[in-house]
Amino acid sequence: MLKRWGSTLGVAIGVTVFLAGCGSGGAAPSSGSNHTTGASGNGPITLNVLYMNQAGYTDTVLQDMAKQFETKYPNVKIDFTFLPYSQMHSAILTSSAAPTAQYDVVLSDLIWTGEFAGKGYTIPLNTYVNKDIPNPQDIPQSIWGGFTVKGNIMAMPFLANFQNFYYNKKMLAEAGFTTGPRTMSEWLHQMQVLKAKHIVQYPYEDSWTQAEGLVCDYVRTAGEFGNGNLFNAQGQPVMNQGPALKALNWMHELYVDGLVNPNSLTADEPTAADAFASGQVAYNTNWTFVTGIMNTKSTSKIVGDGVVAPFPVSQGTNQSTGSASISGFQGLAIPANTPQDLRSWAWKWIQFATSPEIQAQHLQSQWPVWSTVANSPQEAKINPAYKVYETNLNAVYNRPTISNYLSVSSIIQQYTHEAIAGTVPVQQAADQMVKQIEALGQ
Amino acid sequence: MNSLSVSEPNPLPNSLLRKLFHAFTGEYFWFYILLLPSILILVGLVIIPMLFTLRMSLANTSVTVIGGHGSLSMPWSGINNYIHLFQSPDFWQSFRETLFFWLASILIEVTVGVAIAVLMNQQFLGQRVFRIIVFIPWAIPTVVNSMMWGMIMDGNNYGALNDLLLRMHVIKNAIVWLNPSALFPHFSWLSHVLSSLGMNTAILSIIVGDEWHTLPIVVVLVLAGLQTIPVEYYEAARVEGATGWRKFRSITLPLLGPILSVVLILRTMQLLRAFTMIYTLEQFGLPVLSIQAYQQAFSFGSFGLGAATSFIIGLVALFISYIYIKRLYKEEL
Repeated sequence: MLKRWGSTLGVAIGVTVFLAGCGSGGAAPSSGSNHTTGASGNGPITLNVLYMNQAGYTDTVLQDMAKQFETKYPNVKIDFTFLPYSQMHSAILTSSAAPTAQYDVVLSDLIWTGEFAGKGYTIPLNTYVNKDIPNPQDIPQSIWGGFTVKGNIMAMPFLANFQNFYYNKKMLAEAGFTTGPRTMSEWLHQMQVLKAKHIVQYPYEDSWTQAEGLVCDYVRTAGEFGNGNLFNAQGQPVMNQGPALKALNWMHELYVDGLVNPNSLTADEPTAADAFASGQVAYNTNWTFVTGIMNTKSTSKIVGDGVVAPFPVSQGTNQSTGSASISGFQGLAIPANTPQDLRSWAWKWIQFATSPEIQAQHLQSQWPVWSTVANSPQEAKINPAYKVYETNLNAVYNRPTISNYLSVSSIIQQYTHEAIAGTVPVQQAADQMVKQIEALGQ
Repeated sequence: MNSLSVSEPNPLPNSLLRKLFHAFTGEYFWFYILLLPSILILVGLVIIPMLFTLRMSLANTSVTVIGGHGSLSMPWSGINNYIHLFQSPDFWQSFRETLFFWLASILIEVTVGVAIAVLMNQQFLGQRVFRIIVFIPWAIPTVVNSMMWGMIMDGNNYGALNDLLLRMHVIKNAIVWLNPSALFPHFSWLSHVLSSLGMNTAILSIIVGDEWHTLPIVVVLVLAGLQTIPVEYYEAARVEGATGWRKFRSITLPLLGPILSVVLILRTMQLLRAFTMIYTLEQFGLPVLSIQAYQQAFSFGSFGLGAATSFIIGLVALFISYIYIKRLYKEEL
């Protein structure tokens, strides 16, 4: 009896194993998505939103926006997933491999725009924008440009992040300077004096760890020397000539001369910001969040001494803008595998979160994407440096929107890092960079 | 000939079925039933994903979204991914760094690990407390250990290690320990040796942090091995007038062979796929093979190349383990 029962069980388990093996062969990963939707839109709806842990529009700010949205649309619930930046891209990528998207709305960095458009991971929003955004021209063209590929708007601008030039006016005054530098040679001179007078050991710190932040600083520095476009009009890489090469030499020289903290080579943006806010260095070039950090007692030892300014530029260049910055815009996008019946709700959330009314409520958190809000009396009151912000925003360079940007960026990071540290001579590193990027087929 | 083929048809299928039937109904029935959960887990979590990864490595694998439906497309591409890797200088750079990481770590573990274990095997006051203290680093989660070493090796003057060395006047300026593009500027001889190997400060610094974390498990395993060696052997050697070194070389080391092989195999597999500490401290700045596999798959979306890199890591681990095992059996014989 026992034997018979046992053999039946054995055969059953054997068949189960066999079927499990067959079933797992070519199946795509399941979504794990949890959209509770009523087919006719009557039931409760859950929108899964992927967002990033960051300063500015923090988790708390987003939760506040969601609360307002849920009050307006009681049958909709916003369910956030907050991830660090380093995990965002892979999360979107793996969600795209699922039959149904894990996230109905994703925060998209502008450097992913080309890839997502080229591979069809997110949908163009032109129809929605044309229908529901009455005044798209109120968002600067430089911001739209970061999210537009071949006329397709791949994300709705949400976060107008860009870099500012920060300096410590108290340290500069000790060195005998009344204002910050306006040209690159002035900046170099100021740094040399600050070091020679032992006011600081290292006048400048930046985020040059081998990551995307390094590419941002490289592009911006090239911009300060006249042109931050690392590719020419024909799409060919030009890092081994002109402003891009000057930028690489400049960064290397600062390192060799001890004008930049060597720790910059392992520092990310928050680390560099902390060094500035704690009074260890006189200069920092960083994203807009530093303004808040340097003016807050709990995070800063230089409250009242930190100044936000336009970037110094090489003499004879950038005369029209008087600065050169780098964009770090982020937008909200709808994945291409978001179910059809949820897309209109996804857009409603995007429209709500990016609206001028909502952005005007959070001026202390982040510079708005809308010009009218940026130029409003409230912004002027909250941010006395808003004109400088505007100058820097108008002078941004966007990193290229190409479908294999992350591969290109990885090459730039590697060789820029080696060139700064002097492991590879600057010209050789720049030539290698160009050679390898060309080999990728760009 | 005909009669032979009629009278003796291919016996294999029949025999195999019969064996399978007996296996499930005969005296080994409960043996197989009890083994089944482990087999199911092994098949589900190891064998199937491994075969799936192998399939991915032989395809131009990419994520596609067609008609609002996402999937993983895997058009067959043969060994193209492997050829691409073998032709890539980046792959060989990663390969060198991985081998260096493994070799340097293994050398430290075998020498320092055995030395500490031998010391701990002696009778002394507070021996038990000392054993517990030595084991503490192993109990610290890898991510926590990584962040802790990140702070110790901070490149500023106030980094714990820099601060200590500056106070002791060993160095004049802080060293950026975790810089993957630099060599030790203060020790020219070391820089020379490292540069010839294509190495950098970051990888050595990470080896130190990783060893602090994993050395205790090596010590504990070796210590267990030491305690299985009969004391009589040492007494006999002492009577014969053997020195301490001679006893270690002729008794301890040979009898530690099996446990050392286990340690070497275990650690080789762990070291070749080391990821957490390197990624936590350097992200993609120090692209050992495991980091490169992850970057290929999840940053660049080249799942085929990522899978191929993973398979190469597995094959290298298998090859090195095979050498250990072969040597072990040879010694036993």
